[in-house]
Amino acid sequence: MPPPTRSLEVAAVEAVGAYTLLRLRDDGGDNGAPGQFFMLRAEPAPADAYLPRAISAAWAGDGEVAFLLDIRGSGTRALAAARTVSVLGPLGRGFTLAPGPSILVGGGIGAAVLPWLRRRLAPTGEVRTVLGFRSEAHAVCAGLVDPAAAVVLDPVLVTEPLARLLPAEATVYACGPDRMLEAVAALCAEHDVPCQLAMEAAMACGFGACYGCAVRIDGTWKRLCIEGPVVEAARVLA
Amino acid sequence: MSSPDLRAELCGIALANPLVNGSGTLDALAAGTLGLGAFVTKTVTLHPREGNPPVRIAETPAGMVNSIGLANPGLDAFCTDHLPRLGDLGVPVIASVGGWSPAEYATAVARIGAHPAVAAIELNVSCPNVESGCISIGTDAGETRALVERCRAETDVPVLAKLSPSVADVAAIATAAAEGGAHGLVLINTVRGIAIDRDRLEPLLGGGGGGLSGPAIKPVALHAIFHARAATGLPIIGMGGVASAQDCVEFLAAGASLVGIGTSLFADPGLPERVLPELGGLMRQHGVEAIGDLTGVAHPQVSSSTRA
Repeated sequence: MPPPTRSLEVAAVEAVGAYTLLRLRDDGGDNGAPGQFFMLRAEPAPADAYLPRAISAAWAGDGEVAFLLDIRGSGTRALAAARTVSVLGPLGRGFTLAPGPSILVGGGIGAAVLPWLRRRLAPTGEVRTVLGFRSEAHAVCAGLVDPAAAVVLDPVLVTEPLARLLPAEATVYACGPDRMLEAVAALCAEHDVPCQLAMEAAMACGFGACYGCAVRIDGTWKRLCIEGPVVEAARVLA
Repeated sequence: MSSPDLRAELCGIALANPLVNGSGTLDALAAGTLGLGAFVTKTVTLHPREGNPPVRIAETPAGMVNSIGLANPGLDAFCTDHLPRLGDLGVPVIASVGGWSPAEYATAVARIGAHPAVAAIELNVSCPNVESGCISIGTDAGETRALVERCRAETDVPVLAKLSPSVADVAAIATAAAEGGAHGLVLINTVRGIAIDRDRLEPLLGGGGGGLSGPAIKPVALHAIFHARAATGLPIIGMGGVASAQDCVEFLAAGASLVGIGTSLFADPGLPERVLPELGGLMRQHGVEAIGDLTGVAHPQVSSSTRA
């Protein structure tokens, strides 16, 4: 069974440069782990955005669940204007936290999944962060992830600072556009560094019903909501 | 007045309530049956299908366009792996079958119909997301009649024909299915649609076009159900944009015996559990004690006797 849908109160909506931080008051329910995702929909559901939006939490804890939004259309706009939000989740498979040093790689709104992951990884080993954005305004959110992050702006690719950190005895955790993930996966494979990718696909349901979120995994189309959204890079390159 | 009776019946199959899922809108092995009265499987074909390349879904006003492409494990895996587990769900299972020729349908129907877990078979002759086969059969009255006739001969379980609204005269196709011996109809499959990528100005979906579902198609569905019921009198599983208890009542009134929920399950898997008590309330409001008493009341000849 999919987890129960919760109705969470919006505690605050804050601009973070070009992005928007949606902070929901936690009701004590299960929030899962970094990299898992939730289906979010403003209440009442806007007529022009019928389906919920699949979004991973930026963090959960201390009485709140926070989501960094890239407001692109009526669904995300309605979320930022809502008083309460319908929250289905946690769904899917999140990051597998490996012992030892870590490298976090984020591109654009993909950085949104990294703050919580960094908080979880930091006690167990050194964490270095490289982030790429298309503008200064988008890069403001880097501070939420890691104040010491190496940040590059378009047209510089995030693989540039990543390449300087490799080879390394570390696990790479990456989230961003498909092409960035492909490049990160290839770079990690080249240096034989384990790599986990938090991927994205258009999703109607989030719990395996719609078959909309097909991604090439293990050489075949698989449902990202079931197999991922975090997938070992080797399974995607296969 | 006693509390409303939500139990429903279709072709001799008893259900705890009149709600089912639309084929391909629920993986009951992963998500459970969500309180539905019966489970309809994703369409199974003779050979395994990976489905269409992404992008597979696009949200549109009050709905979505999908191009999944009948992704399924194929007849062998379905029968040996899925069906035994589906038998443990505790609700009647309606197996949906697709194919590229009448012979393919017949093979699948014979094997699936013989499995004890299967209560009925849905012939999907209306999938918009494959190049030929399913959809072209369902657009031709003669082919539909012949296919239903052939499949009926292969099984003892009830055979339902799932029809497309994307035809000139849905009543004519429904009549052909009835003439072929269909025990019931499933209306409607998705409406053919296309979505254009707003930036690239190219078709957004990997399969090019797709099928439109969601509240946007509700009036199209009601029209098809109303006329198919009037033309054939067959029991109908009505679906297409159902999102509330009120929608259910309207679909029943148009001629449905059971009501399918599809796209709305994606947005809200808790919907059936919420709709059922509300449906009971609406039955009381309309003065009916059994779900079957609502079926077809929108038709003049039915309503005059029922409402007397």
